[in-house]
Amino acid sequence: MKRAISKITLLVGMIFFGMSSMLSAQTEEYKLDGMTFGMPEAEVYTEDYNGPPVVGEYITQLPNLAPLDYEGNKHHEVRIDIMVQEIEVAEGVRYQAWTFGGTVPGPVLHVREGDRITFVMKNRSDEEVTITEPAKGGSPFMNQVANNPYQKNSSAIMPMPHSMDFHAGTVAKDDKWRTIGPGETIKFDWIANYAGTYIYHCGTPSVLMHTAMGQHGVVVVSPKEGYPTDYEVDREYVIVQSEYYLTKGSGDLYTYDFEAASNNNPSHVVFNGHQTILHDQPLKANAGERVRFHVSNNGPSGTSSFHVIGGIFDRVWLEGHPFNEMRGMQTVLLGASGSATIDMIVPEEGKYILIDHEFVDAEKGATGTLKAGPRKN
Amino acid sequence: MPEIAFSQTARVVVPAGSFHSVLPEVEGEPVAVDSFYMDETAVTNEEYLEFLKDNPEWKRSKIPPVFTNNGYLREWKSDLDPGYENVGVNRPLTRVSWYAANAYCAAQGGRLPTLNEWEYSAQLMEFDSDAEMNTFSSGLINWYSGIDVKNLAEVGSTGIENTEGIKDQFGLVMEWVEDFKPIIADELSLDCGTVGRMNTLGSVYSYAASIRYITRMSFNPKITTGMVGFRCAYDVPAPSSQNNINGETL
Repeated sequence: MKRAISKITLLVGMIFFGMSSMLSAQTEEYKLDGMTFGMPEAEVYTEDYNGPPVVGEYITQLPNLAPLDYEGNKHHEVRIDIMVQEIEVAEGVRYQAWTFGGTVPGPVLHVREGDRITFVMKNRSDEEVTITEPAKGGSPFMNQVANNPYQKNSSAIMPMPHSMDFHAGTVAKDDKWRTIGPGETIKFDWIANYAGTYIYHCGTPSVLMHTAMGQHGVVVVSPKEGYPTDYEVDREYVIVQSEYYLTKGSGDLYTYDFEAASNNNPSHVVFNGHQTILHDQPLKANAGERVRFHVSNNGPSGTSSFHVIGGIFDRVWLEGHPFNEMRGMQTVLLGASGSATIDMIVPEEGKYILIDHEFVDAEKGATGTLKAGPRKN
Repeated sequence: MPEIAFSQTARVVVPAGSFHSVLPEVEGEPVAVDSFYMDETAVTNEEYLEFLKDNPEWKRSKIPPVFTNNGYLREWKSDLDPGYENVGVNRPLTRVSWYAANAYCAAQGGRLPTLNEWEYSAQLMEFDSDAEMNTFSSGLINWYSGIDVKNLAEVGSTGIENTEGIKDQFGLVMEWVEDFKPIIADELSLDCGTVGRMNTLGSVYSYAASIRYITRMSFNPKITTGMVGFRCAYDVPAPSSQNNINGETL
């Protein structure tokens, strides 16, 4: 039996197309209180792209933050593709993570308040993408991961629809944060109107599952006028706390544990995506230095009572906004998707432990080491 | 290359009935579904190959780009060779667009099942207790987070079947349905709260269902992925030439 493509198929197809193109968004740009709103409509399309999955000059691997070596504002062209990677999150614990850029958490994007970002993201969950080799044209993140693949990433496939929700962006979610299927690409603009450290995550339901599977990271938006202590800061680190809900699968790999996730009972609570990474590779400083931590609690569901054993936070800017300044804090409470920018003076040579003072979380892994050398004059 | 026998999939009758959808429905009125026939198992690579021989316009090198994204039959060796050493024998066909699935079913004298038909059939399962249903559903949610597309099992092998004998609606691949993106999809807006709003039965079972609905609604008809296959539905029993024990008239 030979049939041409049926008319009904065509007709129904056209109806689908019609439906999907009915979405429209605010496209008129305007200014209010010195901020810019009203971004052009997002574009969803397919592209033959197999280049580096993370592109952009100011994108780094945790705990690094790219210095902003430009004056004033900049228009960033950023790509962070979605990929599946088998990763190690603790000794002997590997699972197939859903990722932005190939790691959990995803890459750190650094911009300045007022910068415009043209963001491109391809859903490559249905193709194998290697991220442990340096990529020409890729961001510093790519080289850093190639040099230090601490999650021992290997490519995998698990096609799913995904989306991107930048908390640092102020846009209509039904346009910019739209879900795209495997093989599709989305492109949209947003402006970093507010200073601070902001989570980004997949907003496709189940958000609990998508975020717990690894789809989150942070954008650090440095304030236009800086923080009052900027000139004294010797080192900056980005710390992201998050939970995994994993259970042993039938083979060697671990898999998502729905029961644990719905009962707020993580198998691991970690800094920078790996249970021991901040002990295996301690943060470094010297006595007398001012160290700045950009700390974000990416959840998906837990809180973090962030503390450093042996230190007191000299300054804390809640959410990273320079107006929200606190002083002399021992512990900063971060709700799910909350953040703080923290200055700490390193008192003397020795070890300092970064910890979620909710000890049940600490014992599941939320600790790290800051190793201080002697004071240098 | 082993000779692959082409066998027509058995059609199973699904009697009329009703079920609770996770989509908004009139309170107290479950969704009614008329009786229909559906393939016992998902369409295999072997079956699709036979279709391509008769319908060359759907071959990988011929299919018009309006009907598919790149990646249509991506794992196949060539137009008319699935490459069984890679895709295996008797495995579900994947990496076909909704258009291709439609054309295949039309060529069999059928159509894709409607969303409600597929769901109604899938949910015709009997559990001894709520606890058993919850365990099954939790497993299902975990499966949705980790479908191993590189190691798909054979059709009919999951051990999961409904009360009428239709197999693998869960546990093998996700499947295209005729109206996978109902108009209501836009209304639901697919945000973080959608799972909660869809959790109308207040059970893990409907949580699993909501993930399935949402994932399916997020596709567009040109998408081809390694985790989406399909099976066909029919308004009539199989032709009598087909030796099919389930093909009795309604």
